[in-house]
Amino acid sequence: MLVPASTKTTVLSVRGLAKSYGNSVHALRGIDIDVREGEFLVILGPSGAGKSTLMRCLNRLVEPTEGKIIHDGQEITSKSRSLRAVRRQFGMVFQQFNLVKRLSVLTNVLTGRLAYRSTWRSLFYNFSKEDKHIAIECLARVNMDHKAFQRADTLSGGEQQRVAIARALAQKPTIILADEPVASLDPKIARQVLTYLKQVSHELGITVLCNLHQVEYTREFAERIIGMSRGKVVFEGTATELTEEILHRIYYRDPDEKDDKSQ
Amino acid sequence: MSAVTFDSAVARALEREVQVRRRRHLKLAAWSALAVAALWFSALQIKLSPVALVRGAGYMWDFITRLFPPDLSYLALLGGATVETVQIAIWGTLLAIILSIPLSFLGARNTTPHILVFHLTRLLLNALRAINELVFALIFVSAVGLGPFAGVLAVALHATGMLAKFCAEEIEGVDKGQVEAQMATGATHMQVILFGVAPQIVPQFIGYAIYRLDVSIRSATVLGLVGAGGLGFALIQNMKLFKYHQTATCILVIFLLVLVSDWICGKLRRKVI
Amino acid sequence: MSIDVQTRTQSIFDELAARQTWKIKHIIYIVLAGAFLAWCADGVNLRPREVFNAVPVIADYFARMVPPKWSFIEAIWKPAIETLYVALWGVVLATIVGLPLGLLAASTVTRWALVRAGAMGILNVLRSISELIWAILFVAAVGLGPFPGALALGMNYGGILGRLYAEAIENVDKGPIEAMEATGASRLQVILFAILPQALPQFVTYNLYWFEVGVRSATVLGMVGAGGIGFELITSIRLFEWREVGLILLFILGMVTIIDLASTYIRSRLY
Repeated sequence: MLVPASTKTTVLSVRGLAKSYGNSVHALRGIDIDVREGEFLVILGPSGAGKSTLMRCLNRLVEPTEGKIIHDGQEITSKSRSLRAVRRQFGMVFQQFNLVKRLSVLTNVLTGRLAYRSTWRSLFYNFSKEDKHIAIECLARVNMDHKAFQRADTLSGGEQQRVAIARALAQKPTIILADEPVASLDPKIARQVLTYLKQVSHELGITVLCNLHQVEYTREFAERIIGMSRGKVVFEGTATELTEEILHRIYYRDPDEKDDKSQ
Repeated sequence: MSAVTFDSAVARALEREVQVRRRRHLKLAAWSALAVAALWFSALQIKLSPVALVRGAGYMWDFITRLFPPDLSYLALLGGATVETVQIAIWGTLLAIILSIPLSFLGARNTTPHILVFHLTRLLLNALRAINELVFALIFVSAVGLGPFAGVLAVALHATGMLAKFCAEEIEGVDKGQVEAQMATGATHMQVILFGVAPQIVPQFIGYAIYRLDVSIRSATVLGLVGAGGLGFALIQNMKLFKYHQTATCILVIFLLVLVSDWICGKLRRKVI
Repeated sequence: MSIDVQTRTQSIFDELAARQTWKIKHIIYIVLAGAFLAWCADGVNLRPREVFNAVPVIADYFARMVPPKWSFIEAIWKPAIETLYVALWGVVLATIVGLPLGLLAASTVTRWALVRAGAMGILNVLRSISELIWAILFVAAVGLGPFPGALALGMNYGGILGRLYAEAIENVDKGPIEAMEATGASRLQVILFAILPQALPQFVTYNLYWFEVGVRSATVLGMVGAGGIGFELITSIRLFEWREVGLILLFILGMVTIIDLASTYIRSRLY
C-alpha cells in the first residue's frame, strides 16, 4: 500500500524485501516502503516484528534473501556495489550506544569518518584536519563538545547516545538509521535524545528512520509512521491516523491469520 | 490442601531429597575412589617414598650445608650474567609481542580470514606452548650455536604461543556491538580491527605481556644450563667444578632476581589494568 | 552555525592539536627506550641479519624432525607417561605444602602479621627457586628418578599455589563470613564453613591450570635426572637423532592437547 506521491522526493525505496534464516525463521516477508527526503519516519512495532532486521538490510549488515533496495536512484542490494560506499550513506544509532568505551568521545565521533579515510592513514589513529573539524562540529551540534576528551564510558546513557548521534552525523549521511535508540533510557532523557535527533536532522536535511516500540514517543516525534508486525508492513500513515484498532493490529496480530493481500 | 495430604506431600519430598543426596554421594564416592586409585598407581610408578625422603633428608642437608656460606665475593662477577639474563627475557618477550599481534588475530574465530587458517594457527600456537623453552633452547643451541642468542629465540617462541593464545581468546570475547557500530560506518576490515577490536583488548594484552616478561626472566635464569646464556650457565659450571659456595651465590642471585622482577612486574601490571 | 558554536569548535580543535603535538619529554622517553633496547640486543648478540639468517637454519632443523621416527615410541612411551605421574604428584604435593602456608598467609584467617609475613616469606622462597634447581637438590638427596621430580614441582608450585590460595581466600565474599560470625561460630568453624567452601572452586581452577603447566615443566626435569621424558629428549638431541626428537615433541604435544581438552571439559562440568 503506497501513499500517493507528495511534493517531496523519494530518497529510499524498498521493494519486496525478504529475509529468512534457514527454512523456518522468516524475519521479513516482503516489505515495500518509500522513504521521503528529510522526513522523520518511525517504524513502530513490537520486538520480533523485524524492525532491526529491516534496518540492517538497508546498510547491508545483513544480506536480504530477496528484494531490492534503491537509494538515490541506485540499487544497493546488488553484490557489485562496494559495501563501504553503501554504508557510509547510512549513519546508524544503536540501542546499546556501541561507543568504543576506552576511546575518548572525540575519537569515537571521528570513527564516523573512517569510510572516507584509507586504511593506511588510520593505522596510526590519524585523522585529517578536515575530519577533525567535521567531528568537532557534530559534537557541538549535540552539545557534547565540553566532554570531548573524556573516555566514552564515563558518560551517562543519554550523553553516550548523543555522542553516537554525532558519530552518525560525522559520516555526512543521507539517512540516519536509529534502531531503538532510546529503549535503554528513562523517559526524560529519551525525549531529550529524540529531540536532538529530530532537530539536528532537520537542520542538516538528513532523513531519519527510527525504530521504536513505544507508542507515546511515536506519536510525539513521528512525521510519518510505518507499523510492522511479524515481518510485514501493516500500517502506513500519520500519527493522527494511528487509531486503537490499528495499534491492535500491530501489537496483537493473530498468529493464525493468513497473509492478507487486501492490506 | 488438607493436613493429611500436606504431610504426605512433605514426606514424599523428603524421601526424594534423600534419594537425590544418596545418588550424589555415590557419585562423589566413585570419583574419589577413582582419584585415590590413580594417585596410588602413579605413586607406585614414581616410587613415591616418604621413607626415602626422610633418609634423603640427610643427604640434602649435607648438600645444603656444603653450599653455605655463599661466596659473596663472587657476586661482582655475576653482574654480567644477571644483566644478560634480563636482556634475554626482554628481547624474548619483545619478539613474542611482535609475533603474537598478527597470530592472535589469525587465531581468533571472529577475525580470522578463513576457518582453516584459524585451525592451523591454533595448532601452531599449541605446539609453541606445549614445548618448554629449555627444549627450544637445546635445539637452537645446535642450530645457531651456544650463547644468549639461542636463549632469546627459545624464550620468544614459547612466549609467542602463550601470548597469542591469550590474546586470541580476548579477541573472541569482545563486545560485538562496538564492532558492529564500526562496520556500520563503512570502515574497512582493518579499520574495524583498529578501532572496534583493539581498544577493547589492549590493556589486558599489555598486562599479560608484563606477566610473560616476569615468567621469562624466571626461565631465562635456567636456560644457561643448556648453554643458552644467563645465570644458569654460571650455575652449572660451578656445580660441575664442585665449587659449592659459588653455586650458592648463583642460587642466591637467581632468587633475588626473580623476587625483584616479580615485584616490579606486579607494580607495572597494576598500573595498566 | 552561531558564533558561539564556532568559537567552541575552534577551542576544541586547538586543544586537540595541543594534545597531539609531540612533547619534548615523549621524544626523550622514546629515544631512551630505543637506546636501552639496542643495548640489550647487543648484550644477547641479537642482530637483525642474524635473526633473518637463523630462520632458515631453524626451519631446516625442524624439517629434519619430519617424518617422526614412529618406531621410537616403544622406547619413550613409558617415560612419557611417567611425566604425567610426576606432574600429578607434583601438584598434589604442592597442595599439601601450599594450602597450610596459604591459609597462614591470608589476612582473613591469620591475625598475627608476623605469622603472615613469615608464611609469605617461605612461599616466596619456594616459588622463586626454579623447579630445575629444586630438582638438582632433590636428586642429590634421594637419587635419580621421578620421585625427586615430583618433590621439585611440589616445592616450586607449592609456593605458587600457596600465594594464589591466600589471594583467593582474601577475595572471598565477606557476607557469609559475617553471617557465620553473627551466629557465634568459632574461628575454625568460620574458616571451614564460610571461607573454604567459597574459595574451593577457585582452588580447583588453579590446581587444574598448574597441573597443565606442570606436565610441560616435567618434560624437562629428566634433563637433570628427575624423571619423565626429559632424559630421552636430551639424549636424542645430543645424538642429533632429529627424527626421534620429532616423535618425542609430537608425543608431548599430543599429551598436552589431551590434558588441555580434558581440563576444559572438567571446568565446564564444575560450573
